[in-house]
Amino acid sequence: MDRTPSLSTAGIPAIISTSSQSSLQLSVHPLPLLNISEHFTRTCLQTDTPSPLIVGALLGTQNGRDVEILNSFELVITGHNEAAILDREFTEVRREQYKQVFPSLDFLGWYTVSPYPTATHLAIHSQFGAYSESPLFLVLSPTAITSASEDVPLDAYEAAVEIVERKSRTVLVEVGWKIETGEAERISVDWVARGGGEGGGSLVSHLQTQRAAISMLHERILLLVRYLSGVLNGQAKKDHDAIRALSALVASLPASQHLEFREEFDTEYEDVQLTSYLATLTKTASTLNDLVDKFLIATANKESGREGGPGGSMHGGRGLGGVGRGRMGSGFAYPRPEDTWMRQTARVYD
Amino acid sequence: MANAHAHAALQTFSIENDILNVPAQHELYKFDTAADKKVQQAAPWSKDPHHFKSVKISAIALIKMVIHARSGVPWEIMGMMQGKVTGDLIVILDAFALPVQGTETRVNAAAEANEYMVLYQEGSKQAGRMENTIGWYHSHPGYGCWLSGIDVDTQNQNQKYQDPFVAVVVDPNRTISAGKVDIGAFRTYPEDYKPPLSSSSQQYQSIPLNKIEDFGVHSERYYQLPISIFKSPLDDKLLNLLWNKYWVGTLSQSPLISNRSYAISQTLDLAEKLQRISGSLSSRQPPAIALPPRSSATSTSALMANLATSDITATPGKGKEKETEKPKVEKERKVEETQLGKAVRDSTKIASEAQHGLIAQVLKDVLFSARPGEGIESSTAGLGGGVTGVEQQIAVVSGSS
Repeated sequence: MDRTPSLSTAGIPAIISTSSQSSLQLSVHPLPLLNISEHFTRTCLQTDTPSPLIVGALLGTQNGRDVEILNSFELVITGHNEAAILDREFTEVRREQYKQVFPSLDFLGWYTVSPYPTATHLAIHSQFGAYSESPLFLVLSPTAITSASEDVPLDAYEAAVEIVERKSRTVLVEVGWKIETGEAERISVDWVARGGGEGGGSLVSHLQTQRAAISMLHERILLLVRYLSGVLNGQAKKDHDAIRALSALVASLPASQHLEFREEFDTEYEDVQLTSYLATLTKTASTLNDLVDKFLIATANKESGREGGPGGSMHGGRGLGGVGRGRMGSGFAYPRPEDTWMRQTARVYD
Repeated sequence: MANAHAHAALQTFSIENDILNVPAQHELYKFDTAADKKVQQAAPWSKDPHHFKSVKISAIALIKMVIHARSGVPWEIMGMMQGKVTGDLIVILDAFALPVQGTETRVNAAAEANEYMVLYQEGSKQAGRMENTIGWYHSHPGYGCWLSGIDVDTQNQNQKYQDPFVAVVVDPNRTISAGKVDIGAFRTYPEDYKPPLSSSSQQYQSIPLNKIEDFGVHSERYYQLPISIFKSPLDDKLLNLLWNKYWVGTLSQSPLISNRSYAISQTLDLAEKLQRISGSLSSRQPPAIALPPRSSATSTSALMANLATSDITATPGKGKEKETEKPKVEKERKVEETQLGKAVRDSTKIASEAQHGLIAQVLKDVLFSARPGEGIESSTAGLGGGVTGVEQQIAVVSGSS
C-alpha cells in the first residue's frame, strides 16, 4: 500500500528520511490495529485528554526481510515528552507472559497514536533497542480518517542512521505495509464489522459477500482498463513495469484450464451435489417416516372406532409394517454409499 | 462505485441489526471504580440465579478469543476475560490467553495458570486496564458451544467464589466452516436450583455422537446468555477501511478446501447417527398399533394431533388420563422423533455449507477461466451448474425451515 509521504511535505519531522525506503516486507494483521484503537479509545476516556501518549509492543514473526505483525500489548511509560521512559520491568514481564502463551511470536517493535512521528517518539524508540535489534515503529493517526479515505491511516518506520553534512543522526525510514489476515481472524473481523448476529450463515449474506468482492475486483479492473486506454491515447505516462505486470497477468488467464485442475474441480462439484442429494434423501426418509406414523395413527383410530371389523384393519396394519420396512431399506442404506464417497474423497485429497 | 455498494451493504446490515455506534458506547469503555465497588457489594446476582440477561463483548476481546481458539486446534485452549457488570448486563472488554492446553472437554486451570492469571491481572491494572476478571473462555474445536460436566463444575466453583463470572465457549472449527463466529456465553444455576421448564430455549445445534451423553446430562444445569458485540467509533472506522481490503481474501480462498476435514468428520458423524437411528427404528413395533390409540395421538407432533383432533375432542378427559398413564412411552417416542429430525437438520446444514463453498468456487471459475470466444462452453456449463446449485440449495434451506 503506498502511503504518500505527505507528512514530510508539511515540513514537520526532519527525523523522517526522504531519501531511502526500507526493503522490509511488512504485513499487519487487523488484531494489532484494533488493539491500538482500543488502547487509544480507553486511554482517552480515562485521562479525559483527546491525544494521550500511548505506547505498546508489537508481536509477530520475522523471516528474513518478511515481517508479520500478529498481536500487540499495552506498555507503561512514565514521564512526559522527551523525558518519557519505558517501564522496563513491566515490559520484561509482559513479554515473558506472551511468550508463554504464543511461543511463536517475538517482540518486533512498538506502536503509538499520533498524527506524525516526533522527537519524543524517537527518544522512546531508542529505548526499544534492548529488545530488538531494529525495532519497528507503527504510528496510527486516527485524525487522518476522513469519509473519503480508503487506506488505514497507519505508518510504519524503522530506524536508520543517516549521514548528513558529515554528522550521523538517527532517522526513521518509512516501511511499506499491507494487511494480512488468517481465516479465523477474517471471519471474526467480518462478523464484528457487521455487528455480530446471524450474518454470514445465510445464503443471502454469503452471496452478498461474494458480490461485494467481485464488484471490488471489477472496479479495479476498470481502473486498469482506463489506465491502458489513457496510455493508448497518450494521456497517461507509460509505465513499463506496470504494463509488463499487466501483460503477465493477462497471459496467465484463464487460470484454471489445466486438465487435472478441471478433474479436481468436477470431482469437487460432484461431491457437493452428492452431499445435497444425500441430505435430500435423509429429509425424504424423515418425511416418509412421519407420514407412515400418521397413517398408522389414522388407521389405528379407525380400528378402535370400528370394533366390528378387526380383520380388515389387521390387514392394513400388516401392510403398513411392510411399508415401514421398505422405507428403512431405501432410506437407511444411505450411510454406506456415503461412506465410500468419504473414502474416495479422502483418497483423492490426501 | 462498487466500493459504495459494499458500504451500502454494510450500512443496511448495520441498520437491520440495530447496531448502535453512538457515543453512548463510550460509556462501556470507561471504568468507574466506585460504581464497580457498589455493584460488587450489592451483588444482586447472588439472589437471583437468572440475574444476568445478556453479554456484550468488545470487538477486540472477541477477535482475541477466536484467534486464540483457532491457534489451538485441535486442542482446547483457555483464557480469561476482563470486564464489568452494568445492571443485568455483563460487559467483556478484553481477554487474555492462559498457558494451559486441554484435551477434550477437560480444560482446567492448574496452579501455574492461576499464578499467571494473577500476575497478568496486576499488569493490566498498571497498563490502564482497570476492569477485573469477569469470566473465562475456552474452545470446543468442532463440537459446538455448550458446557461439559467439567465445565459446569468449573463454572459453578467460580460463581460460588468469585461471582460475577461468566463462561464463554468458542468453536473455531465451526466458525471457519460456517463463516460466522460460533460462540456461546453461559452461566450455571446453583446446585439446589431447579430451572423452570423450557426457560432456556437454547438454539438447536448439532452435537457429535461421542459428546451427546456429556451434553445431555448437564444441559439442565446452566443457561445461555445472548451475546452482542460492541465497538468504538474508531474501531468502526478502521473496520470500514479493513473491509475494503477483504475482498481479495473472499476470492482467493476456497472454503471447500479449508473445511474439508471438518466436513468429512461431520458427515461421518451423521452417518453414524443415522445408523443408530435406523437400528432403533427397525427394532420398534409399529407404535400406533402397539399403543392405545389416543395416547399415541397426543404424544406425536402437532400435525398428527391435528389429524386425530376429532377423536380427542370426542373424549378429551379420557385422552388426558391415558397420557399421564403412559408418560414413559411417550417420552421415548418423542426422543426418537426428534433424533431423526435432528439428523435431517444436521444433513441440511452440511449440505448448505458445502453449497456455499461451491457457489464461491463456481463464481471464481466463471471469473477467471472464461475467455471471450473460447472455453465459454465449459464456463457456462459451470455457471448453469452453479445456478442450479444455488436453486437446489435454496430449496434445501427453505424446505428445512
